Amino acid sequence: MAKLAVILGIPIALLATVASLGVVVVDVREGGPDGQRIVVPVPLVLAQAALAVAPSVAPMDELRIPDREALRHMGFAREVLQALADGPDGELVRVEERDEVVVVTKEGRSLRVKVSGHRENVSVNVPLHLALQALPGEDGRIRTTALAGALSGLRFTDLVDVEDGDDHVRVWVW
Amino acid sequence: MKKSFVAGVGLAALVALPAAMAAAQAGTPWLHVRVEEAKKASKVRVNLPLTVVEAALKSMPEMIEEHGRLHLGKHHQLKMADLRRVWKELAAVGDAELVTVESEDENVKVMRKGDILQVFVDKKARAGKDGKEEGAEQVRVEVPVSLVDALLSSEGDEVNIQAAVAELQKRRGDIVRVQDDDSHVRVWIDEQNTQPSGK
Repeated sequence: MAKLAVILGIPIALLATVASLGVVVVDVREGGPDGQRIVVPVPLVLAQAALAVAPSVAPMDELRIPDREALRHMGFAREVLQALADGPDGELVRVEERDEVVVVTKEGRSLRVKVSGHRENVSVNVPLHLALQALPGEDGRIRTTALAGALSGLRFTDLVDVEDGDDHVRVWVW
Repeated sequence: MKKSFVAGVGLAALVALPAAMAAAQAGTPWLHVRVEEAKKASKVRVNLPLTVVEAALKSMPEMIEEHGRLHLGKHHQLKMADLRRVWKELAAVGDAELVTVESEDENVKVMRKGDILQVFVDKKARAGKDGKEEGAEQVRVEVPVSLVDALLSSEGDEVNIQAAVAELQKRRGDIVRVQDDDSHVRVWIDEQNTQPSGK
């Protein structure tokens, strides 16, 4: 009985540990309530580990933004993102057209993009701290370790929600 | 006694915090841009805290100025030193109609009225293919004199973005209005983080 408890306890404890560190859940539903549903849980720690070891596995040039023109604008992007993160909340952009409405709002330390159309609704949440860490440095290198660290701040965040007719895709971090 | 004092202070802080946050929020200047096009039934509204505008302008000065020249259209360039000199001379004149151009196509007026520099461009309508008049355009630009002073307050071939943004922080109200037969553009500053539904 004790052996069984140990045998069952180890994987349960492992699962609990992984779950407590965060899980990215990709939930895809097709064809409405009676259709197909696929749920893919990816432990956040796996993504963090992959990012952390990326510099030692991938060649340096692979983790670098090669386009110098794009690099010129990184400072601009960083300054604007930082100012947005530090700034007050509010509706930043609203575009209303005949069949579509796009709204970008700043809520806390996230940018929320919502596109509402006749048939489809898209909601994307961009955590500003993650966006800042994803920007390459002045040398063009992407700081994967910092990016891995930033991922841990994503717990309990809805990242993507796409509704297209009977299909529904949702990505969130638990 | 001490416990109840601490509890009282805590409670007061809890009550005062939302009010203080709302007050801080209310004092933040926001730059608003609204573009409405009747034919496309499209409305674009942009609201940005001035701090974001400041960060953008500071980190990308080449957007508005390159090699010491302001680019006015494709073919016209004006040296900053010339602009500064002209502005200094205009400042000495005081309130006046500085420029008046009347032509077949459009009327242009540049005048200084108190603390405001006004630029009015009225493009005349022309008969279209179907006989209807079209192409009329009305541009109203009101720039605070202090804003131009701030922009031109640096030496050499640069515009002083920092001083200009500091000036905008104090400004409330319309900055630019452009109206033509189809579209309407308005740029203004206030302390609201959203735009009213009307014009």
